[in-house]
Amino acid sequence: MAEMIPFLLFICTCAVLLAGYPVALSLAGTALLFAAAGSYSGHFDGAYLQALPNRLFGIMGNTTLVAVPLFVMMGVMLEKSRLSEDLLESMADLLGGLRNGLGISVILVGALLAASTGIVGATVVTMGLMSLPTLLKRGYSASEASGMICATGTLGQIIPPSIALVLLGDTLSSAYQQAQLNMGIFAPKTVSVGDLFVGAIVPGLLLVCLYCLYVLLMVKPQRATIAIDEAFDTRLRRAFKNLLPPILLIFAVLGSILTGAATPTEAAGVGAFGAILLAMIKGQLDWQNLRAAVQSTTQVTSMVFMILIGAAIFSLVFRGFGGEQRVAEFFQQMPGGLFGATLLVMVVIFVLGFILDFIEITFVVVPIVAPILLAMGLDPIWLGVMIAINLQTSFLTPPFGFALFYLRGVAPETVNTADMYRGVLPYIGLQVMLMLMLALFPAIATWLPSVVYP
Amino acid sequence: MSLFIYIADRIDAAIDLIGRLLAWLNLLMVLVVVTIVVLRYCFAVGSVALQESVSYLHAAIFMLGIAYTLQQGGHVRVDIFYRQFSPQRRAMIDLLGTLLFLLPVCLVIFIGSWDYVVASWNIAERSEERSGIAFVYALKSLLLLMPALLLLQGFAGALRLTLTLVNGPADRQTRPVNDG
Repeated sequence: MAEMIPFLLFICTCAVLLAGYPVALSLAGTALLFAAAGSYSGHFDGAYLQALPNRLFGIMGNTTLVAVPLFVMMGVMLEKSRLSEDLLESMADLLGGLRNGLGISVILVGALLAASTGIVGATVVTMGLMSLPTLLKRGYSASEASGMICATGTLGQIIPPSIALVLLGDTLSSAYQQAQLNMGIFAPKTVSVGDLFVGAIVPGLLLVCLYCLYVLLMVKPQRATIAIDEAFDTRLRRAFKNLLPPILLIFAVLGSILTGAATPTEAAGVGAFGAILLAMIKGQLDWQNLRAAVQSTTQVTSMVFMILIGAAIFSLVFRGFGGEQRVAEFFQQMPGGLFGATLLVMVVIFVLGFILDFIEITFVVVPIVAPILLAMGLDPIWLGVMIAINLQTSFLTPPFGFALFYLRGVAPETVNTADMYRGVLPYIGLQVMLMLMLALFPAIATWLPSVVYP
Repeated sequence: MSLFIYIADRIDAAIDLIGRLLAWLNLLMVLVVVTIVVLRYCFAVGSVALQESVSYLHAAIFMLGIAYTLQQGGHVRVDIFYRQFSPQRRAMIDLLGTLLFLLPVCLVIFIGSWDYVVASWNIAERSEERSGIAFVYALKSLLLLMPALLLLQGFAGALRLTLTLVNGPADRQTRPVNDG
């Protein structure tokens, strides 16, 4: 019975989360109730919780995670600078002559926004408000239009620089250390947020290409082209003018990380500063906007770190009940070895993605399973990219996909929910396809890092 | 009853003020990080104290901002079912959550960190780096301030939730609205 307690704790926590009380407090609170009952019945050693202040102080002093508020600030600032409106307009202008030009420009602008802001909710809402009505007017069906928007909105998870990859990179780097120490390697190799960024570039771009191909070949709007009276080079110049700043910003941030000139944290800070300058140049930097930006940065940051604190408490209790050993034993008994174990983890993460957010899964599930998989010999970058794509897919999966909720919130009544569900299905298919490709050819994720960091 | 509302309003106003002031530290943090980068590239100067101050700012923002975020409803919920519930039912869940989860979590963090923080004050702990910041004990005190503020905000919330449950949602007093 006692060895079932960790699993019981996990299942109870999931059930409690469904009640709707804030996730961070539910996680920690349920774990503490278990710990109280466990120490009363003698199954739990309260000494495990004595590590808590040190763990929390470790979270406060984690220099990698300082990148989180800075990237959030960059994203919020870009959003406030109304960059997305200009981008979409000029791209649609530029490609409007093509059959399906609008669809392609939605995908490309979405990808660009996702890469620069890295916030799924913000991208889906902005794209939903701006492009959904236009798409519908131009003869795209409700399901085609909403599928495109939800799918491109979630690209922010996987295309670097992304907050999700920062969190995942930090978690994986400690998991990797732990895995090697467990194997008796006392001069462990490391994996960093930068490695993960580099590893995610090729898969991320590949995904954008897959989306574009799909739209080009399979989506057939009724009224494809727009009549355009301006000359091509005027439109090109305008598009260029609007595209240049965000692209420069992304390249500056990514470039300084890739060349090793700056840490992800420094790059994020410079990126945030760049976003503020951009808003200033565009005349959108007033007191109101700046205040709204810093306040929402505070809230998003506090939310993320409260989950991290909650997850720290949860994992101490989980460990106190012997949970890590149980999970490790479970994986060792699994038939199919490394492949079976990886497949199982991917399925579990996918299913958990229905109810949990990226952040919770990264902080709660990854620290438990990643050391085991890494100790079995998996490449940490490959694992990180796979988890990121997997979680991105779960954002899209009906009925609980977060992207769907965000779009539902801003979509007109004429777009019914069933349309949205139908619309995202092909994109989920594309993502599963990408995961299969990664499983068959791990080099898609690991090749670029091996070139950049030989 | 009006005493309940009065107390809850006071607490909300205080936490809201803290959150709004705190928010500007984000801007300061961006500027400090940019300064660090500029100093290093243009003047080849590195400052440990400046580096550490980024961590201090960051920790202060989220540790003190957690209560503010609770007030503003910024903590993520799994709201698949929650958002379909009636206001009464939501109030019930929130009140139970406050008592069963928020209260023990705050107490465990506060009580569990007490000795840890006191020990740091006793030796006036400073950075391990020689040129670092000398106020590690102040930084560690955030481990007490965070649960204290969260508990306070949880208390204010519980007062309002109790009123909602007793009087129905119509009597729910408006919270200070964030106009930002």
